Amino acid sequence: MDEEPRPTAQEMIDRLAGPLSPWSRVRAVVALVAGLAGAAFVGALWSSEEALPGRTHLAFALFLAFCLAWAAYGGWLVTRRVPLFATDRVIAAWLAVVASAATTALVAAFTTPPLPALAVGGAFLAAALLLAVRAHTRRAALLRRKHLLERRPAPD
Amino acid sequence: MTDELLVVRAQLGERAALAELVRRWHPRVWTYTRRMLDAGRADDVTQEIWLAVVRGLPRLREPGRFTPWLFTVARRAVADRLREEYGRAEEPAAAEPAAGDPVEAMVDRASLVAGLAALPVAEREVLVLFYLEELTVEECAQVCGIPPGTVKSRLNRARRLLARRLRESHG
Repeated sequence: MDEEPRPTAQEMIDRLAGPLSPWSRVRAVVALVAGLAGAAFVGALWSSEEALPGRTHLAFALFLAFCLAWAAYGGWLVTRRVPLFATDRVIAAWLAVVASAATTALVAAFTTPPLPALAVGGAFLAAALLLAVRAHTRRAALLRRKHLLERRPAPD
Repeated sequence: MTDELLVVRAQLGERAALAELVRRWHPRVWTYTRRMLDAGRADDVTQEIWLAVVRGLPRLREPGRFTPWLFTVARRAVADRLREEYGRAEEPAAAEPAAGDPVEAMVDRASLVAGLAALPVAEREVLVLFYLEELTVEECAQVCGIPPGTVKSRLNRARRLLARRLRESHG
């Protein structure tokens, strides 16, 4: 019974191209970051407005739910479906930093007083920066390991 | 290039390293699933295993322990498939031949494979991991989530059962 693997290794590599494509990773990260940023922006605008009619409240609620749904979808993709390798995590973390900073600036410009928005935005920014530091640390550790292993003579 | 270096490079996001890892380990992963399942299911489950490996690889903390981790993923996928189809992995699957062809049974190797296929899942699994995949007892224990002593006792029982089975088929 000398069977050959089916699918072959090359066929398997081809089948893995979908989850490994850069587009699938970009889509997952953008859905997560844009969903969170949108939810923060809409939430801040909604909370800063007073005496809104019922329909406007409904519109804000729907918009917020829409943004949260995208954030949840992006979160599910990032944690369950799409592999984020060390370099991808660094890029994703910096995307989150930029999105947090931009959302905070926007929200602070549109709301009065800006202090609560700045506090919430600052927390998001701090979390994004923490993720960026962790991603860089992990990537640096892997690079060190890689260089060490490359210098080590191959076992017989 | 060592497996550990390939894994580290793949974890950094190098597609070529990941492809090389698949090329290097795919035959062994397929052999394991094929010895545990019939041909049709083995092919499906092998793909599921590689998807799980690719998704889980960024979180693997010890690249040097890739082999036991890979077979832990493979074992989980095989067990899920058996559980899905039989409710319980142990009993009905134990009697289910994973491979069997009357023509092949004419040669020793085929008898061995058929004998292997007739073993209970738990014994077949340690035999495949230890002899075909050449994992150590400690690695088998890690993959199966059991103490090394249990691996040894299962190996003994598996050898006895296989020997009996081969004697029966030869005479």
